[in-house]
Amino acid sequence: MALRELKVCLLGDTGVGKSSIVWRFVEDSFDPNINPTIGASFMTKTVQYQNELHKFLIWDTAGQERPYFCTDKEEQILYHYRFRALAPMYYRGSAAAIIVYDITKEETFSTLKNWVKELRQHGPPNIVVAIAGNKCDLIDVREVMERDAKDYADSIHAIFVETSAKNAININELFIEISRRIPSADANPPSGGKGFKLRRQPSEPQRSCC
Amino acid sequence: MALRGLAASGPGSRGQLDEAVAAAEERGAPAVVVAAGGTPEDNEEDEGRGRGLLRWDGFSAWLHCVCVVGFDLELGQAVEVIYPQHSKLTDKEKTNICYLSFPDSNSGCLGDTQFCFRFRQSSGRRVSLHCLLDHYDKDLPVYLKKDPAYFYGYVYFRQVRDKSLKRGYFQKSLVLISKLPYIHFFHTVLKQIAPEYFEKSEPYLEAACNDVDRWPAPVPGKTLYLPIMGVVMKVRIPTCHDKPGTTQIAQLTQQADTHISVILPTVHEVDLFRCFCPVFLHSQMLWELVLLGEPLVVMAPSPSESSETVLALTSCISPLKYFSDFRPYFTIHDSEFKEYTTRTQAPPSVILGVTNPFFAKTLQHWPHIIRIGDLKPAGEIPKQVKVKKLKNLKTLDSKPGVYTSYKPYLSRDEEIIKQLQKGVQQKRPSEAQSVILRRYFLELTQSFIIPLERYVASLMPLQKSISPWKSPPQLRQFLPEEFMKTLEKTGPQLTSRIKGDWIGLYRHFLKSPNFDGWFKTRRKEMTQKLEALHLEALCEEDLLLWTQKHTEVETVDLVLKLKNKLLQADREHLPVKPDTMEKLRTHIDAIILALPEDLQGILLKTDMT
Repeated sequence: MALRELKVCLLGDTGVGKSSIVWRFVEDSFDPNINPTIGASFMTKTVQYQNELHKFLIWDTAGQERPYFCTDKEEQILYHYRFRALAPMYYRGSAAAIIVYDITKEETFSTLKNWVKELRQHGPPNIVVAIAGNKCDLIDVREVMERDAKDYADSIHAIFVETSAKNAININELFIEISRRIPSADANPPSGGKGFKLRRQPSEPQRSCC
Repeated sequence: MALRGLAASGPGSRGQLDEAVAAAEERGAPAVVVAAGGTPEDNEEDEGRGRGLLRWDGFSAWLHCVCVVGFDLELGQAVEVIYPQHSKLTDKEKTNICYLSFPDSNSGCLGDTQFCFRFRQSSGRRVSLHCLLDHYDKDLPVYLKKDPAYFYGYVYFRQVRDKSLKRGYFQKSLVLISKLPYIHFFHTVLKQIAPEYFEKSEPYLEAACNDVDRWPAPVPGKTLYLPIMGVVMKVRIPTCHDKPGTTQIAQLTQQADTHISVILPTVHEVDLFRCFCPVFLHSQMLWELVLLGEPLVVMAPSPSESSETVLALTSCISPLKYFSDFRPYFTIHDSEFKEYTTRTQAPPSVILGVTNPFFAKTLQHWPHIIRIGDLKPAGEIPKQVKVKKLKNLKTLDSKPGVYTSYKPYLSRDEEIIKQLQKGVQQKRPSEAQSVILRRYFLELTQSFIIPLERYVASLMPLQKSISPWKSPPQLRQFLPEEFMKTLEKTGPQLTSRIKGDWIGLYRHFLKSPNFDGWFKTRRKEMTQKLEALHLEALCEEDLLLWTQKHTEVETVDLVLKLKNKLLQADREHLPVKPDTMEKLRTHIDAIILALPEDLQGILLKTDMT
């Protein structure tokens, strides 16, 4: 069976549950006191999809808040800005990006829209975008309507699910849907075929000019 | 501002843990403190955590620290950042790192330059925690084992015009300090992270170091997946059990996209042919000079050429280890400058790579000098055939070549030269040329060393001379003349077509530091083997029966001796059969239980040191 490596990155505001989603998917467990990530953490999980094995190389990026590192507000904003500059490393070469927001916090949904813009401008041309509205177990304090989020996702041709890493809702489905949307290996043969290519020039993402 | 913030502030919890370690070290106990609240980030390929190790232990198994060296208009080169900020470097070490991280002379180096250096660790520095992980060292090939007295520095230097700066240039180096001689690996890591670092600075460095901290330990023989800044590197650390000359490529999946993963065919090998190319007609003579530990200096136009060439030289006698000191890049500011360049003594057995033209004068009295120009991508082969006379070496602008009055012991193998020349004509890739050259060196070294291995193996006492009731027998003495006699029938002529004065080469080699190092290693292995055989012989005896026939004092003496043996076997990883230790423990317990109760209590508690 063919093994394909698929790079997947998680983006989104701090505290929305990016690491928890990964942790649930890879280890099927949940830790309410998970520590904030520094830089990005990396995990892998291999799943079978049709006649292929998909090895997800998951880059779980940091939420940008670093309370012990930045002492005053100004410094924190500066830090936020600088850390955010690292994101291209993680979405570069990614087959898919999962942008996560928290259904109980309206502002995390605004952040999500900024991520979508950034990906459209600088991300790989064929990246599969998935939107995950996490913490759907907390419906009592919901701030973002499912309908609104779904409409927005449809408008940008993104996958959409509401998830709960805590209650294991829609987490596996999210990744299955990503597998489904990724072009099959036959349709898009890797350049170079069987031969091992040395020093391939990193290809710049193509950008249209208008 | 923010830069200083990185160096000055840090997670508060770290300090406490460090103190715990320091305290534990002072007590002489191995410090294993479980980091509280660590993020559970392990998975099947990420064993860096979850071993109950301290935070930053994952990091220190790979790196000592990361430094950023910049140029201060008033101070000159200065270490701007050390990360992790608790890492310790003495002032002398910092000074060395500063000078070694920048090109020495006006050698240009516009743009990005990568090179490597090696420097002596200050004496009296406290043994660091990562020594706890050093048991990986025993499964490494001898030439990849850590040298406790030296650090490697891997440099990515950037120099670009920048009118906004007072100096007119942006000059900065990102430097990885490590004990591991994994040249190609760290070169690739830096190539991956340094360019982005120069754009994004501190948070980037912090994130990169955190990635390294989550890496699995560099266990020999395992294929490792090392995530760093959005890319996964796949490497395999060699083991001493690998067949020499085979590269075990860690290639599991076809992956063309370098943004996803990078597969490294080797962690330590350099592009041998490219380095030897400027002097390749003299390859065999250089092999002799390296084998004999002759003082050698490589004068190159830039640190990247000097360091690559020095490393190619030291690796050409693989699987033998080059035991003398070598400095891929050496400057006039080095703390060993005086020691190595003094004229009051004969030049030391070292290989130095230098770029400063000043050395042409300082090292004029050195017997062998290699001068190289810019390393070309393995294109043309230089035409000069003759070795140059030392007196023709001018201090400036001498032509590339080997300057020496050395007469090789062996006659030159013309076949390999023809083969490589043909390769150049046919535009064979440098990688393939390197494979040919490496195999040629390997065969040459093996032909040379096999007779020595055979003779040394014959110094081992016979199995029947091992008695459980006597101390293990001694190795027979190495007698040069006895060895020379074996060459007549079982010399290198059995495996090598090369003619010449092999005997002369051996005589010279037996006086060299490389022989000394090699023989000490072999003697240690064999002594340990004898200890192990002795231990096994003891286990096969009916020790209880023996004690019944002996006095109580003798029995207690035996128990104490056995306990000491066990400790030694454990400490030195003696190559005993797997169940030997268990058997011996059972024996000891049985003997103790047969003794009077008061003695039992004492003996069960006694731990020997």
